[in-house]
Amino acid sequence: MLKGIGALLIIISSSLLGILISSKYSIRPKEIRKLRFSLQMLETEIVYGSTPIPYACYNVGCKSDKPWKDFFMRVSENLLKRKFFSLEEAWNDAIVNSLKNSYLTSADKELLRNFGRVIGKSDTEDQKKHFKLIYAQLEHHEKIAEDEKARNEKMYKSMGFLLGAAILIILV
Amino acid sequence: MQNNKTIDEIMNFLPPKIQWLLSRCISDHILNVEEIRLRLNKPLIISGSNWDFFIDSNGFLTKDIKNAYVTSKDDIKKASEIIQGFSVYSFGEELKNGYITIPGGHRIGVSGKTILNNGNVKIIKDISFINYRIAREIIGAADKVIPYVIDPTSTIYNTLIISPPQCGKTTLLRDMIRQLSNGIKTLNIKGFKIGLVDERSEIAACFLGEPRNDVGIRTDVLDACPKAQGIIMLIRSMSPDIIATDEIGKDEDAQALMEGANAGVKIITTMHGCDIDDLHRKIELKKIHSNYFQRIIVLGKSKGVGTIEKIYDREGKILYLST
Repeated sequence: MLKGIGALLIIISSSLLGILISSKYSIRPKEIRKLRFSLQMLETEIVYGSTPIPYACYNVGCKSDKPWKDFFMRVSENLLKRKFFSLEEAWNDAIVNSLKNSYLTSADKELLRNFGRVIGKSDTEDQKKHFKLIYAQLEHHEKIAEDEKARNEKMYKSMGFLLGAAILIILV
Repeated sequence: MQNNKTIDEIMNFLPPKIQWLLSRCISDHILNVEEIRLRLNKPLIISGSNWDFFIDSNGFLTKDIKNAYVTSKDDIKKASEIIQGFSVYSFGEELKNGYITIPGGHRIGVSGKTILNNGNVKIIKDISFINYRIAREIIGAADKVIPYVIDPTSTIYNTLIISPPQCGKTTLLRDMIRQLSNGIKTLNIKGFKIGLVDERSEIAACFLGEPRNDVGIRTDVLDACPKAQGIIMLIRSMSPDIIATDEIGKDEDAQALMEGANAGVKIITTMHGCDIDDLHRKIELKKIHSNYFQRIIVLGKSKGVGTIEKIYDREGKILYLST
């Protein structure tokens, strides 16, 4: 009886470990997609509303999902409360501090960092171009992330289960 | 108290280093500061009506240029980002004119290298000179002139305020609007409906649509609208008795003023200049008939900022002379 419960616990915990590792691959494409939606809102604010960045980021933050809600709110706060005196610094600070728990890779963050260098720096027409570029880049990253997900998600899940089974065999 | 509020409004738009220097500065002068001037690699200067000072690296006012804090490239770069709200697309149009108005009605002027497009200024880049001009609301600034502009038979006379920069033109205009709009019991004047075309957002200092300065209870503000269009729009939409606007100078302004006159609306406006001759010398304003303005108020600095030097009537006869 006791043995049975122990065996079950081992199997469950190792399977959960597998799911945990695999979630890294399933969450990243979702996060990239959500970023794209948020940036689309930001583009509308900039191109049609001419809203200054601090207010535009606040509006976008209100309507975004995690982790982008925190990200845009932080950019807005950094600028409005004058914690930083340039958009690039405020943007980078938010990348470092608001995306700690996200599953984005350093390449994704680098993309976002580069975007922070150009946003707000030119007229509406030019801003449109930068948005177009980052959409294309994000789509590319999303595709890679989806591929990785397809490849790895299942593998880690089954590996977790198999690990549990292996431990059981060794112990018994 | 009032002054503390104004300086705080400006503080938020200064680069961090200079903000820090000024916040350490405890002199009374800081409360009466009119301009804060940043010039690339030149000393930081703050000035008032008839004084100017450098600031040393500990935030003390000084007259000695050797100790003066020198404005760095970083200061200028940060300042220009802040005053544009980190958003060139949003403020580029405003910056084309060389200045931006911030909440509170303060004006930040910039100068640098202009980029032309078809002979018009497209943008100002490489900003290296920045001037923070602090706007002050002085209640009662117009007490002296009000009796001269009242027309006992109808409303008021068409009035022009002529003044060099920094002599209190806008302050005087704002207080005239406030008094005429509220009405003045002692002079037995009922309040007039006033339409205010505030192209530079300086007079009413609207922020998100609400005037930050007191412009009276019967005043409608058309914020950030070009004067010529705004005058016509207000006549049609708000049926004002008086239209007030700031700094006329363009051809179309003159035309709109004449149209306003034909619509039976009285005008109060201002112009840069030193005396009445400057009005006739400006070719852009030649469309205005020589006797269009029935009262012309000339401001100067002979007894401090905002001294009313002379008031003329429409024939150019002097009604008031500062003694």
